[in-house]
Amino acid sequence: MFITLMILLPFIGAVIGILSKRGSIARVVALATSAIPLFISLAMYAMFDKAAGMQFTENMSWIDSLGIKYMTGIDGIGLPLVILANIVVPLTIIFAWNEKKDAHIFFALISVLHAGVLGVFTSLDFFMFYIYWEVTLIPMYFLISIWGGPKKDYAAIKFFIYTHVASLVMLLAIFGLYFAGWIKTGTPSFDIMYLIKEVYPGLSPIMRDGIFLGLLFGFIVKMPSVPFHTWLPDAHVEAPTAGSVLLAAVLLKMGGYGLFRVMLPLLENVGSYKLMIYIMAVLGIVSILYGTLAALVQKDLKKMVAYSSISHMGFVMLGAAALIPMSVAGAMFQQFSHGLITCVLFMSCGVIQHNTGTRIIHELGGLATKMPKLAFLMLASFMASLGLPAMSGFIAEFLVLTYAYQALPIFVLLALLGIVPTAGYHLWAMQRAMFGEFNENVKDPHGGPLKDLAINETIAMATIILLVIYFGMNPGPILGMMEISATNLVAGMGGMI
Amino acid sequence: MEAYIFALIPLMPAFAFLLSLFLGNKSPLKGAEYPIIAIFISFVLSVIAFTQIYPGEEVIHYSVHWFGALNLGILIDPLAAVMLVMVTFVSLLIHIYAVGYMSHDTGKARYFAETALFTAAMLAVILSDNILQFFIAWELVGLCSYLLIGFWFRKPSAAAASKKAFLTTRVGDVMFLAGIIILFAEMTKLGLSDGTYLLQFKTMFAHIPDIPSGKLTIITLLFFGGAVGKSGQFPLHVWLPDAMEGPTTVSALIHAATMVTAGVYLVARTFPMFIAAPNSLLIVALVGGFTAFFASTMGLVMNDLKRVLAFSTISQLGYMMLAVGTLGMVLANEAVGVSLFHLINHAFFKALLFLCAGSVIHATHLSDMRQMGGLFSKMKITGTTMFIAAIALAGIPFTSGFYSKDAIIEGAYEYAVHASHTTGFIAYIPYIFGITAAFMTSIYIFRLWFMTFTGTPRTDYHAHESPASMTIPLSILAILALVFGGLTKVNFGHFLEKTFENSYIHVDLHELAALGGHTLAEGATHPPAIIFYLPIIVGVGGFIIAALIYWKKLVDLTSLTKNPLYTLLMNRYYQYQIFTETIALRLTYPMALLTDISDRHLINGVIDFISDAFIDIGEIIRKVQTGMVQNYATLFILGTAILVIFMQIRGMM
Repeated sequence: MFITLMILLPFIGAVIGILSKRGSIARVVALATSAIPLFISLAMYAMFDKAAGMQFTENMSWIDSLGIKYMTGIDGIGLPLVILANIVVPLTIIFAWNEKKDAHIFFALISVLHAGVLGVFTSLDFFMFYIYWEVTLIPMYFLISIWGGPKKDYAAIKFFIYTHVASLVMLLAIFGLYFAGWIKTGTPSFDIMYLIKEVYPGLSPIMRDGIFLGLLFGFIVKMPSVPFHTWLPDAHVEAPTAGSVLLAAVLLKMGGYGLFRVMLPLLENVGSYKLMIYIMAVLGIVSILYGTLAALVQKDLKKMVAYSSISHMGFVMLGAAALIPMSVAGAMFQQFSHGLITCVLFMSCGVIQHNTGTRIIHELGGLATKMPKLAFLMLASFMASLGLPAMSGFIAEFLVLTYAYQALPIFVLLALLGIVPTAGYHLWAMQRAMFGEFNENVKDPHGGPLKDLAINETIAMATIILLVIYFGMNPGPILGMMEISATNLVAGMGGMI
Repeated sequence: MEAYIFALIPLMPAFAFLLSLFLGNKSPLKGAEYPIIAIFISFVLSVIAFTQIYPGEEVIHYSVHWFGALNLGILIDPLAAVMLVMVTFVSLLIHIYAVGYMSHDTGKARYFAETALFTAAMLAVILSDNILQFFIAWELVGLCSYLLIGFWFRKPSAAAASKKAFLTTRVGDVMFLAGIIILFAEMTKLGLSDGTYLLQFKTMFAHIPDIPSGKLTIITLLFFGGAVGKSGQFPLHVWLPDAMEGPTTVSALIHAATMVTAGVYLVARTFPMFIAAPNSLLIVALVGGFTAFFASTMGLVMNDLKRVLAFSTISQLGYMMLAVGTLGMVLANEAVGVSLFHLINHAFFKALLFLCAGSVIHATHLSDMRQMGGLFSKMKITGTTMFIAAIALAGIPFTSGFYSKDAIIEGAYEYAVHASHTTGFIAYIPYIFGITAAFMTSIYIFRLWFMTFTGTPRTDYHAHESPASMTIPLSILAILALVFGGLTKVNFGHFLEKTFENSYIHVDLHELAALGGHTLAEGATHPPAIIFYLPIIVGVGGFIIAALIYWKKLVDLTSLTKNPLYTLLMNRYYQYQIFTETIALRLTYPMALLTDISDRHLINGVIDFISDAFIDIGEIIRKVQTGMVQNYATLFILGTAILVIFMQIRGMM
């Protein structure tokens, strides 16, 4: 019941919010209905048995004739991401507390998005999984197209169509599995684990590879991996801050989640085992380096952060491809960690945009003088993002690099090349935007003196930074869950060693 | 005392960081009191730890599980103990001094918070019982140096220098990390039982013989790469001269107590691995020797007080590396002792030099020596203490620096004699670097002193002696710079030898050396008398030359400024052009631009092309959408029929 309740609450919140027609009510409702799921997920965490597999399962028949069931459950792969979403969404609502434009719809859309991602992270039935997967698209589309920047229409459509096409390819692969299972046994089923473990191994090698690549395509567009990433910078640049935060912190994680929930279990029986591992590893390393290089030359701070997301998500792919238990756990932890860190990065960009009217780095300068709170928290998030130890990103990247080295040494050595340029673009942006003499041309577009962080913005950003530091020093509570799931995932697979 | 209590040594200043940061502006000393009290407690604890383990048979060790195969722990052995006492002591003095020095600065709370964190991070480096924790603390040291060098972030040059320091040292850090990764992979292959902490120094050292020697060489070289970055060795020394953009007290912290010594400490800490990899040791010796020489040449021509001292630091760190490298190849046991002996002595006189420079800058608001002169009459304490620091640095007999530098140069000579049978002339290179650098060191430091304190003022300024909170630390450090070396020269080495031979870690260095395939000397040889006197001769000789030129003005060198060699030195061998312009601007940046262009036009171009194609196809298909219900019905029925047929076929199967 926990899971259903958790998903239902934000939906209900969204409906109440829209019906209330008042932003001031909608935001309170949205905050409440996103905070209660946090407590539910923490309760689940408290009751969670690390050693056991899927827990809190619910299994009800729904459309028997098509084999569609209402199946939910949670394990060490899903729970950390559920907690992540439940942390990020309430803080995003707090951050966006003063949104004025159609605020009731704005907060309702965030709630729908929240429900959608929780559904994705807990569904055990492919049909439901797919529906939730698509549900997340709609609120994000509207967030971009209504509250977005000047080129919002292009960005929103691009975001929608691009990821939707990828979803369709994924859907084709799902149907392939579904019909194959139906033909083979005579009873239809969308049960993810059943399809992966029972149906998939019986297919012809060509089919297995095809289905694998189809599903992989769906997930890597979402992550995104280079070269299927170009929707992301556009979407981020145009999206409102809350939209960017949710996009980077939660929606991208659905792609990574797919890797662990679907791709790695499939990998064991895939037709061309080594080829697929290499494909994944290459996608990972290319994303890491390409994202870093592209970030170096961006003029728009937010676009730079968007490319850094691509680079960081490359670590997820690389860690997964190595198939070493701890590298896979590290990849999962990278998802969690990046989800937190990127929030503050995008919030910083949002505050700068809102308070100065621009995000173009060379139009800023010396902001630290006027906005010390922002400078402090932004620097902390930049340090976290460039992988400073004692912050969560370091643990994740260290685990991925250290353990993946045992399976994919060349790839890891290449990934190390990205570390200095990564530090470079972060510090260079910091130097030009925040340090040096204050640029007198920077003015508050709303008039008056340049404002520092508002109290709600400080709360949201500082909370996340504290969490990033906490999980950087004590990753155990989250990593422990992942470790066991990861060990089970790769058990029986030789990887590249 | 219980072992875990000593974890407070780094935690106290870390706590002070929080207090100063959040309460500093409201407290009477504007945040200075918290770090001073905290570091004082750390200092007392360090002294207690030192007395507990002395003479080094027992060590203090405490470890807790972290996650996976990793632990967090503290290890206080002789090596750590001397570092702890030195760092807490020097840091304490610098903090007290800073109360006066920073009295006019508005950002005092932030300053003291950051220096407290800096000290905490350095103490955590020293205390680590495993290489990962070492790395983590090491990176935090890097963060703090970034914050402190960029303390006056409104100054564009400070913002640039802090970035440069972070990025340059990060090049080394990546190598260090790569070393850890490779080491970890090797340790994993050994199949040690679960629950063994693979990256603990004890475990690492115990399994050195199990690691293939080629891998060991790579790992140690990568570790050394990290040390090259942090300790400002060639070619990653470029950040250090710019690090003076921060307050002078920060420079004193960086150059003496924290940060730069971390690299030497890393090599000393992992010395058993180095001794099993003689090729790495040779590279350590050569890089160290070359750095000592190279940096001292630049020290000769710089006109900024702090910049001369910066090159001096680089050069002296080179000596420490040289000591580990050469002595490691001849006498093994003594290498770490001699190197650390110089490190500690250097910490005292270099902190003193920087604080004296700070006192001068505080008084005159100048840092260019060409504008100074004749300060001695106005600043007697500063002038005297700085002279003491100068003679210690120059290695004038019976000062601290004399004993340690002498030991290093003699060690390099012993190596030369020992290895010349096998490697020929190359074995003499470290020694030649060492002795010529000693000569130049003496010249540049007395040049600095004479230009600052003698003669007549070259510009108008009102100088006055600094307040007691500044001169008292100067006097304490001056006493230490004078006598510390002489008092401890016998016991220091014996104590440090216990680092690798105690109740916790016991490594047979001779066995490891044999494993690496090089033979150690049977015992100390007796070099000819000239080798013993040469360091003294060059030290005094440098003094005389500097006195003749810069004090008595008997020789005029202004014509030399047209010399191409002078231009080369003034431009610091064009390192800026090589590093910043070539690597960053000509190589990385164009690559990034190319990526960006291909991203927008190639990858995104393909996507836009596909979507355009679909729009075109859509235009065609639109003609199918006739809007007539009959057409839709036809298609609907067709589709249903296909589905029914599919079901039927499935039924038959």
